[in-house]
Amino acid sequence: MDFGRSSRKDPYIPTSSMGDIAFLLLIFFIVTVVFTDESGLVVTLPRADAGEEGLRDMISNVFINSAGMISIDDVIVTAPDVVSIMAQKMQENPFMIVAFKTDKHTPYGVVSDVMESLKEANAIKVFFNTDMEITGQEF
Amino acid sequence: MGVLDKRKKKRDPGEIPMASTSDVAFLLLIFFIVMPMKADEIGLSLVLPGKETKENTVKVKQSNVATIKISYNNVITFDKQPMPLAQLEQAIRDRLLANSKTVIILETHPDADYGMMVACLDEIKLSDARKVSLKTTKI
Repeated sequence: MDFGRSSRKDPYIPTSSMGDIAFLLLIFFIVTVVFTDESGLVVTLPRADAGEEGLRDMISNVFINSAGMISIDDVIVTAPDVVSIMAQKMQENPFMIVAFKTDKHTPYGVVSDVMESLKEANAIKVFFNTDMEITGQEF
Repeated sequence: MGVLDKRKKKRDPGEIPMASTSDVAFLLLIFFIVMPMKADEIGLSLVLPGKETKENTVKVKQSNVATIKISYNNVITFDKQPMPLAQLEQAIRDRLLANSKTVIILETHPDADYGMMVACLDEIKLSDARKVSLKTTKI
């Protein structure tokens, strides 16, 4: 009888397909990642301690620099123009949040005018970005 | 003889080492997973009242209103009393303890800095005040 001679093979985890799995995951993340191509305006954001995280996918940016220039999707606009732009964006995404990337030295009147336009466009969820320095194209 | 030996020699075909391919894939994978996480937005969120209609206009008793005013030269007053920014949080907390129905109105002059408005809004958020309203001073 050969029963005594049989020897057990050491168990092992096959790792040869690890590279394939890594590549598949890599392709998934490359395809799904979204890089924002909006350069906006040069602003120095104000600092705040009570800052909370915002959902990036829901956010539509409004850049306002210290000179009071307003930029949406890299286009310089005026406060009354904001109504039609944001109304269109609200139709595309009703849960949209408008993020103010505004310089801390901007006169509040400009921000107030944009907020009035947002009310007109029914874009009532706003987010005042804080504590991060953003660089973009200079005007 | 020498000529025959030279003919027999075969060139070793060059081989690209593939052992580290999965390591590279894993490094790229980590990059694409971490990248979107880093770009989170931080700020203060607020819901605007929307278009003014008879239905959504709420009347509040004058005794339940606490007004923070920011003047054109960025001087803060809390219920007409000048107040440094550092003491604002405690003053709001005291007011809320005295009357939990208090509505905080942040009234900012159009020429005041946006940064000062955000700083005051930050103090309001830190004091756990739930009912906040933004108002712009008319020139």
